[in-house]
Amino acid sequence: MSRFPRLAAALALSLLPAAALAEGDVDAGEKVFAKCKACHAVGDGAKNRVGPQLNDVFGRIAGTADGFRYSPAMVKAGEDGLVWSEETLAAYLTAPRAFIKGNRMAFAGLKKEAEIDDILAYLATFSQSGDDDAASAEPAPADTPDTPNEETAIAEAEPKADEPEEAVVEAEAAAEPPAHGVFHLGRPATEAEIAAWDIDIRPDGAGLPVGSGTVLEGETVYTEQCAVCHGDFGEAIGRWPVLAGGYDTLTRERPVKTIGSYWPYLSTVYDYVRRAMPFGNARSLSDDDVYALTAYVLYLNDIVTDEAFELNQDNLATIRLPNEDGFIADDRHEEPHYAAGVEPCMRDCKPGKAEIVQHAAVLDVTPEGDGDEDGTGGGID
Amino acid sequence: MPDQPSRRGFLQGGLAAGAALATATTAARAADDPAITEIQDWNRYAGPGVDAEPYGVPSPYEAHVVRRNVPWLTADPISSVNFTPLHELDGIITPNGLCFERHHAGIAEIDPAQHRLMINGMVDTPLVFTMADLMRFPRENHVYFLECAANSGMEWRGAQLNGCQFTHGMVHCVMYTGVKLRHLLEEAGIRAGAAWVMPEGADASAMSRSLPLEKALDDCLVAFKMNGEALRPGQGYPLRLVVPGWEGNLWVKWLRRIEIGDKPWQLREETSKYTDLLANGKARRFTWEMDVKSVITNPSPQAPVTHGRGRLVLAGLAWSGGGRVSRVDVSIDGGRNWTTARLDGPSLPKALHRFYHAFDWDGSELFLQSRAIDENGFVQPTKNDLRAARGENSIYHNNGIQTWHVAKDGVVENVEIS
Repeated sequence: MSRFPRLAAALALSLLPAAALAEGDVDAGEKVFAKCKACHAVGDGAKNRVGPQLNDVFGRIAGTADGFRYSPAMVKAGEDGLVWSEETLAAYLTAPRAFIKGNRMAFAGLKKEAEIDDILAYLATFSQSGDDDAASAEPAPADTPDTPNEETAIAEAEPKADEPEEAVVEAEAAAEPPAHGVFHLGRPATEAEIAAWDIDIRPDGAGLPVGSGTVLEGETVYTEQCAVCHGDFGEAIGRWPVLAGGYDTLTRERPVKTIGSYWPYLSTVYDYVRRAMPFGNARSLSDDDVYALTAYVLYLNDIVTDEAFELNQDNLATIRLPNEDGFIADDRHEEPHYAAGVEPCMRDCKPGKAEIVQHAAVLDVTPEGDGDEDGTGGGID
Repeated sequence: MPDQPSRRGFLQGGLAAGAALATATTAARAADDPAITEIQDWNRYAGPGVDAEPYGVPSPYEAHVVRRNVPWLTADPISSVNFTPLHELDGIITPNGLCFERHHAGIAEIDPAQHRLMINGMVDTPLVFTMADLMRFPRENHVYFLECAANSGMEWRGAQLNGCQFTHGMVHCVMYTGVKLRHLLEEAGIRAGAAWVMPEGADASAMSRSLPLEKALDDCLVAFKMNGEALRPGQGYPLRLVVPGWEGNLWVKWLRRIEIGDKPWQLREETSKYTDLLANGKARRFTWEMDVKSVITNPSPQAPVTHGRGRLVLAGLAWSGGGRVSRVDVSIDGGRNWTTARLDGPSLPKALHRFYHAFDWDGSELFLQSRAIDENGFVQPTKNDLRAARGENSIYHNNGIQTWHVAKDGVVENVEIS
């Protein structure tokens, strides 16, 4: 509290509304929260992901969840006295970017008032404030380091795979020196260990798990887990990747490289989504969910048109993406400027004096700290 | 000049400081220099003791020497890149804290006691190594550059970013300590028919690539140290793959598994990304090697000439994924005439090379360029050569010659010229 003395009054007030969230429906709020959980965790053991964990968010000074790296804008909002309450959260969730300009939450906002009421009711069930003695207890949960929650969170982060204890392994190794290799170092991997990590997929279908999912099932998962970044139709929010469309743009000045217009193999979608999506909550989807999502992405790209279409371990490798033949081998060294045996020119190599045809300074997209620049094209990937 | 107010302020600030220095030097001839005649605090009072900084940090006067981000490039700083301040560095080794970083799901914070490296797939005995196991293999030390394939990728459509930190800062060069990947693969026993390996990271982006077995058995390292100390977390602590001369995306950080197979996996990073779209709509894939390249680091837009006419030392970096750099030429008139620069320091294969060129500047405007030639005879092309061959949509592998315009007042700008 000492860091934010002028917030004392605001905090005391903000602790009250949690108890008074009568208008929202907790169960409905849990459903609305599906839109948030790709980035935010709440409940036992919740830890920071792409966004901060939301336990005890009511009464928290903005930008102060332990261990989360906020945007400067959010930290400043907290320093300026913003405390999360029913009112401030409602305003923020309605229009996140307008409410705190420059914050990093990549979420367009909740348009329906009822949804906001419901989600606040749901989140309030994970906040301790609202009790009669709340104001006299710990006034700012975010200022209290090393809460039990954090301990739990670390335990949760341990690998879930059935890894044998190192001691056991060493005992085995001591009993009989391994027969493999040259140096006899390391130990044989167990089948369960290989199964836990070797989940990659190849275009020929090698590695696909048993399972299935339909376009319609995929739409549900997509809306909950993916649309927040990739947009409702795969058109993307901000600079997140575009997933659909872009046909016939590869020769244009601004190619749109999507799964439909550019990716050569469908197996890549399954493999990547299964191992790395949703961003900030990787490996949280079931194998069936991934089949359903992959089917839905085919639908978004008009590669399948039937909403009842089912993708499974047998038909995935048989589906061809339109740009499979759009790739060639590396032939950079065949380019004329790399022709062998040409001595580079040293004298009078070009006629006339050099004239500037383009200035970087005119574009003025070099960062200087205010973050307002926007490039005109090109990127890192 | 159509400068934006903010840039004008930035550059004039630099020039004003330079002018002040020049004045001080001139004044010292007429009057006595107080830097000499007055007793300085550091000359009188004792400074901090040896326990002040158990892990040393640079002087506070070097606080501006930092990696920088270009916010508009990516959707989110968690999956993004920062750039090495090449214009502030010299020699060929990049300090660990200034090596550019590219993460796809932020930095994995790994307890080395919990880290494992698995070798599986087409092997006789799938194996698991702890970090302690890896220390018992023969260790090697090598200096290599690591360049992101997208370095200079923002410049395909023309001069865009004003500073070599931004145009060329996705490269660094350190000494790695590690063990040969070959030893680890052979320990597991490679089966007949194997042709590819797939290194995989432990981070939340499941970073992985297909790498030909031939390269894996040639010069790849599994490294745990950089410049003598443990890898920095942003560089893959506790373990990363080193793929000398090849694009940085292959140098998988937080390396936890290597699978051996008979075909490439066609993963996200090698299909939707790191493929080079050409003007005809076809895309090159598996473009691993980094081509011969160079850049003048000083002067450059962030490091203008502040001393006026007279002796000027031009400094730069050159490198090639094909081996050593054998020669660097520089031009001060936009490629009309060239002079061979002086290479200085160690010349190591697939490492940065440092070059210098000193001359007396007459105060007229300059168009600075550098052109590297590697030991295989490949000559660094111009950007227009590359555009003619590939179009402007490749993103990756832009090794074209960079032009810096030095105005009469010493201000330096990234330009494209006739």
